[in-house]
Amino acid sequence: MTLTTDQTAGAPAPALTRPLRYGGAGVLRQVSVLSGRSLRALREPALVLPGVLEPILMLTVFSQVFKSVSQTSAFPAGVSYIDYLLPAFLVTGSISAGLKSGVALTTEMNNGIIARFKAMPIHTGSVLVGRSIADTVLNCVNMLVMLAAAALVFGYGPDGGVLGSLGAVLVAVVLGWSLGWVFMALSAWVRKPEALQPIGGIVNMVLLFASNAFVPAEGLPGWLRAFAEVNPMSYAITAARDLALGEPSTATVLATLGTCVVIVTVTAPLAVRSFRRAT
Amino acid sequence: MDTPMIELTDVTKAFGSTKALDGVSLTVPHGTVLGLLGHNGAGKTTLVGILSTLALPTSGQARVAGVDVVRHPEEVRRRIGLTGQYAAVDETLSGHANLLLIARLLGATRAQAASRAEELLELFSLTDAAHRAVKNYSGGMRRRLDLAASLVGDPDVIFLDEPTTGLDPTARRALWDVVQRLVREGTTVLLTTQYLEEADVLADSITVLSAGRVVASGTAEELKNRIGHRSVSVTVRGADDRELAAAALRRAGLSPAHEDDGLVLTMPVRDSTAVAQVVRATDEAGVDLAGLAFCEPSLDDVYMALNHSDGR
Ligand SMILES: Nc1ncnc2c1ncn2[C@@H]1O[C@H](COP(=O)(O)OP(=O)(O)OP(=O)(O)O)[C@@H](O)[C@H]1O
Ligand SMILES: [Mg+2]
Repeated sequence: MTLTTDQTAGAPAPALTRPLRYGGAGVLRQVSVLSGRSLRALREPALVLPGVLEPILMLTVFSQVFKSVSQTSAFPAGVSYIDYLLPAFLVTGSISAGLKSGVALTTEMNNGIIARFKAMPIHTGSVLVGRSIADTVLNCVNMLVMLAAAALVFGYGPDGGVLGSLGAVLVAVVLGWSLGWVFMALSAWVRKPEALQPIGGIVNMVLLFASNAFVPAEGLPGWLRAFAEVNPMSYAITAARDLALGEPSTATVLATLGTCVVIVTVTAPLAVRSFRRAT
Repeated sequence: MDTPMIELTDVTKAFGSTKALDGVSLTVPHGTVLGLLGHNGAGKTTLVGILSTLALPTSGQARVAGVDVVRHPEEVRRRIGLTGQYAAVDETLSGHANLLLIARLLGATRAQAASRAEELLELFSLTDAAHRAVKNYSGGMRRRLDLAASLVGDPDVIFLDEPTTGLDPTARRALWDVVQRLVREGTTVLLTTQYLEEADVLADSITVLSAGRVVASGTAEELKNRIGHRSVSVTVRGADDRELAAAALRRAGLSPAHEDDGLVLTMPVRDSTAVAQVVRATDEAGVDLAGLAFCEPSLDDVYMALNHSDGR
């Protein structure tokens, strides 16, 4: 029996797929082309330098100002402050990196290039995944530069060795990747970079200063300490720090990475959905 | 081809209590240009947004090449090119890289993408600037690149949202040439503009939008007929001739008028056949004319008249 073309009365004529001049690109190609585009920013020193210099500058200031912390009783004995501080810096750098994904997206939503992509025969998700990949790679590079600078200039050299520090970088990069999705979902919602920046600033402040990033939680005043102990950022910092200091707790590391994956699983579909709708 | 390439039926779009579009219907046949005229906030960009699948209509139906934009947006995207109101190109990349990017996203191989990019840069006279970053382009160059980017995939229908706003006359004319060439090759174009001359030159038919409603549509000719400010003016050589000519024209049933001591007599007429009548009357009066002109109403007149009649 031969099947002929479906001519069911009343049904809307199925739209003939118009052959594209170039046949269309698969999702993988879309993502790689789009992330490649975002990574081209790497050739522009003006866009890359601040991201590298800022943490180094902060590192200089903090390592001087808070040196006295390492003399307090709550501080782990025999650990130099820079060894203690750097893993936290990797993690905090990731918050900024995540925020950058969101801000970049709102900027492009406003200058129209996102509208162009949305009117093209490509997946909406590719645009976001492309950005996420590019920003994650960029973040990775920034972290490694920071690590090298800390080792060469500030005498960073924790007991975990190179492997431990790379483990800390991994935790930070995974965290930055997941926060990137959170901020991209937010950006599709608020739409304006001016609106996203302050939100990011507040999130940054709360998550950071009420955590064990700069001083051990035990050294904080009561109420702040209570928050620091439940602050997810504290877990990420602990995971990164223990890795760097050579006393990794598998449970903390897995919990941190697992949380990040859960965050992305929840926020990525949200981001794609609201991004599709936002004009 | 019989299916209209663009078809809107009673489309509305509400933003809260604002009705950006309020029951718009229009049709654009294959291979023609529709000029969408309207002042700020008339709903032009909203309409383009719906047709290019960026926004959903609140109610009504919109089809592009026979495909419903709500039900099969992915099919619509295979057929359209969008040049938005604000140039949508990547500032950090060169013009060449921008076109390469679009071509690659459409599935072109590196070689195909490069040759398509060069072809389009050539078409828009951007070859010299091909490898400069777009952020150093002038407004006109950026606009041309933007249009080039929307042509990479050879779309059946292109949407141009105020494509020549901010361009100098030369750049504007160059862009018009490209649009005319596309249309000759069978592309269907919907173009929004604030420039009446632009619609007059490019559009096969014109739709005037005001506060989300269609207030007039037809060919430029039809719109002009509706307003009908056609006139003939003659220039005489002196005040005496002027009085002689005016008297003769009045006897012929015309109503000439002139500025206090001007030498130009202007009179409204029904159509161009009145020119003969004017010549005969002045000739019989023995007046030697220094000049004679038949004036079509401009779209400006149409536009003003329509916008006055809806209370603006
Ligand atoms: N996203 C939005 N949210 C709320 N109102 C909107 C939105 N987009 C458009 N509008 C409103 O809809 C109406 C039509 O806007 P639109 O941008 O379509 O006009 P336009 O004809 O393109 O104007 P212009 O000539 O200024 O570009 C305006 O009143 C505008 O304020
Ligand atoms: Mg507009």
